[in-house]
Amino acid sequence: MDKGLVTVIGMSIAYVASFLGMGLAWWSWRKRTREGKRDGDGR
Amino acid sequence: MLSPVMEFTFVDWGWALAFLLLMVGGAFFFYKLARRSESDFFLAGRGLPWWLPASSVFSTHTATDTPMWITGVVYAHGLRGLWYTFFTAWTAVGAFVSARIFRRSLAYTQAEWQSLRFAGLGSELLRGWLAGWQFFMNMFILGWVGIAMGKVCNLVFGWPVWVGLVVPTLITAVYTLAAGYWGVVMGDFLQGIVAVFAIVLVSLVGVVAAGGPVEITTRIVEMGQEWRLDPFAFTGWTGGDFPALWWLTMLVIAVLGGFGMGTSIDWYVEAQRIQSSRSVRDASYGLWAGGLVTLMRNAFWAASILAFFVLLPGIADAADYELGWFRLGFELLPVGLVGVFFGAILAIHLSTISSHLNLGALYFTRDLYQRYLHPEAGERRLVWVGRAATVVLLVGSFFYGLMMEEITRWLIFALWLMMAGIWLPNILQVVWWRFNAWGYLSSWIANLGVSWLVVWILPAFGILPSLPDHAQFWLLMALGAAVFVPTTLLTRPEPMDHLVRYYVMTRPLGWWRPVHDEAVRRGLIADEPSPETRAGRRPLIRRTWTAAEAQDWTREDWIAIVLSPLVYGCVLFGLVRVLLLQPSGLWLLALAVVGSLAIYWVIDPKLRAVSIEYEQRQAGYAADLERKMRWENDG
Repeated sequence: MDKGLVTVIGMSIAYVASFLGMGLAWWSWRKRTREGKRDGDGR
Repeated sequence: MLSPVMEFTFVDWGWALAFLLLMVGGAFFFYKLARRSESDFFLAGRGLPWWLPASSVFSTHTATDTPMWITGVVYAHGLRGLWYTFFTAWTAVGAFVSARIFRRSLAYTQAEWQSLRFAGLGSELLRGWLAGWQFFMNMFILGWVGIAMGKVCNLVFGWPVWVGLVVPTLITAVYTLAAGYWGVVMGDFLQGIVAVFAIVLVSLVGVVAAGGPVEITTRIVEMGQEWRLDPFAFTGWTGGDFPALWWLTMLVIAVLGGFGMGTSIDWYVEAQRIQSSRSVRDASYGLWAGGLVTLMRNAFWAASILAFFVLLPGIADAADYELGWFRLGFELLPVGLVGVFFGAILAIHLSTISSHLNLGALYFTRDLYQRYLHPEAGERRLVWVGRAATVVLLVGSFFYGLMMEEITRWLIFALWLMMAGIWLPNILQVVWWRFNAWGYLSSWIANLGVSWLVVWILPAFGILPSLPDHAQFWLLMALGAAVFVPTTLLTRPEPMDHLVRYYVMTRPLGWWRPVHDEAVRRGLIADEPSPETRAGRRPLIRRTWTAAEAQDWTREDWIAIVLSPLVYGCVLFGLVRVLLLQPSGLWLLALAVVGSLAIYWVIDPKLRAVSIEYEQRQAGYAADLERKMRWENDG
């Protein structure tokens, strides 16, 4: 396979882990923001 | 080719086993310290004197595949090939810039640092991004280094590759699981001593076997290959296999990279060593000395590879000549010492594996589990999660090593591309207050797109030729900047409250004037020059500092920053020339000694003042950091 192609494929594989980590951060952030809002409304 | 299977005598096995017991036993001894807390399991309680992080920097970056790689570039390029290894020089500047800033942040990891430097959703996305990235990269590096060990064991003993991949790594996992970072760093110290002994011994034996230093240089000249002795033997400005622009690019990447964080893949490992140091001063010296010893190691290797070239000049296949240093050891050392040599290879392997097991587990535990899944987790639970993450990394690395060997090879190339697009943002996030989380995140994502375009899509359609590496680097950087600069300027700066808090804590170098002024206005830092300065009596080199004045970046810092990479260069090329008995080497080493003493004389009083002042505040900052981990005081 073309060296350039395998390089960018390898790079894209490494990016998958970053996107997963970012997804977890976003999920947690959203959860805490909602909890914070609920706490604020309850007061 | 290397002898397919080496004859190991009883004495050889005895030596190898003795080394193994010393290294593993020495590391295991610290089991009780590691289980005390998360900080102990991952940072040795932030209490290490500079020489322990320094030995760990050296040991971690001396992996089983390192002698193969350095042999490859020196055999192919001669002494100019040493410039490939000069990327280590980022530690020359980093020791006096990024190490100081990062140590003061108290962040366990680079991912955590992102959430201190930036604020809000953007900072959290970056933290998750880097944590995922580092968890994967450590698994990948473990597989990559493990497979190199498998190949060495296959060549030496004829064992199947999986045996060499799995068994030494499992041995390492035992003490890494038990003793955490305490075991890693103490093991690295012992393993570093063994590795230095073997590197010096085998290199000198190789030089003697080739007829000695004078014979080596004479033979190389007789072969018409004297360019191999010249580190500046360029093949033109842009053409050939070693153009001057490629050299300049490598130099810029390495030296200026020290102003940033994450500019080298090694940064993430070093960040843990920086943070485990007992003071800002120890962090600086640990990084500086670790990088320097790594370059000295390269000089010994280079001399022995020139000897190997003289002994066997006609090897065309890189896979064959890359084994040159191993061949010198296994084929030239007498019975008994071969076992010592194998013990040293084990040391080299264990130190790298243990570091990456612990580092990958740190990112998972601190940045993914504790921050996003279970912020209230107690110390004991976090230590056990760290151990569980270590096991996951271990199993994952076996998978990569055995099943995806080709992919690990692709990723090595991919690392270069990734560095091109985020190299400048890695610096900007440290030195420019206005750079924000969205700018940094966009640089990572844009880098993926522009890399596809420049490296494959446009060349495949004939729109752009395949570019040489240096041209590719600068083009990717420019295209990335076309995305992250507008993104930064079109989105809001980080909140001033957050920036002021970060600034007061870390006192970064660069363009931070608006934040500095705000911190002064709020009475958080003093901006009063000392009576000595007011009276215009400031000496050219100042050696007594008030705590407040030591926080500022002054000419003393810049003297250290400029001298430091020059010292590195003098040591690298001076030592290799001394080993080849060239008188110019002595001059270079003398310059390096004078330069090192000058750096110490200029910067040490300031580092002491910074450290003493900062240690008074550290406990408060650390408590604040832990509250932030539990989402109690996000700002």
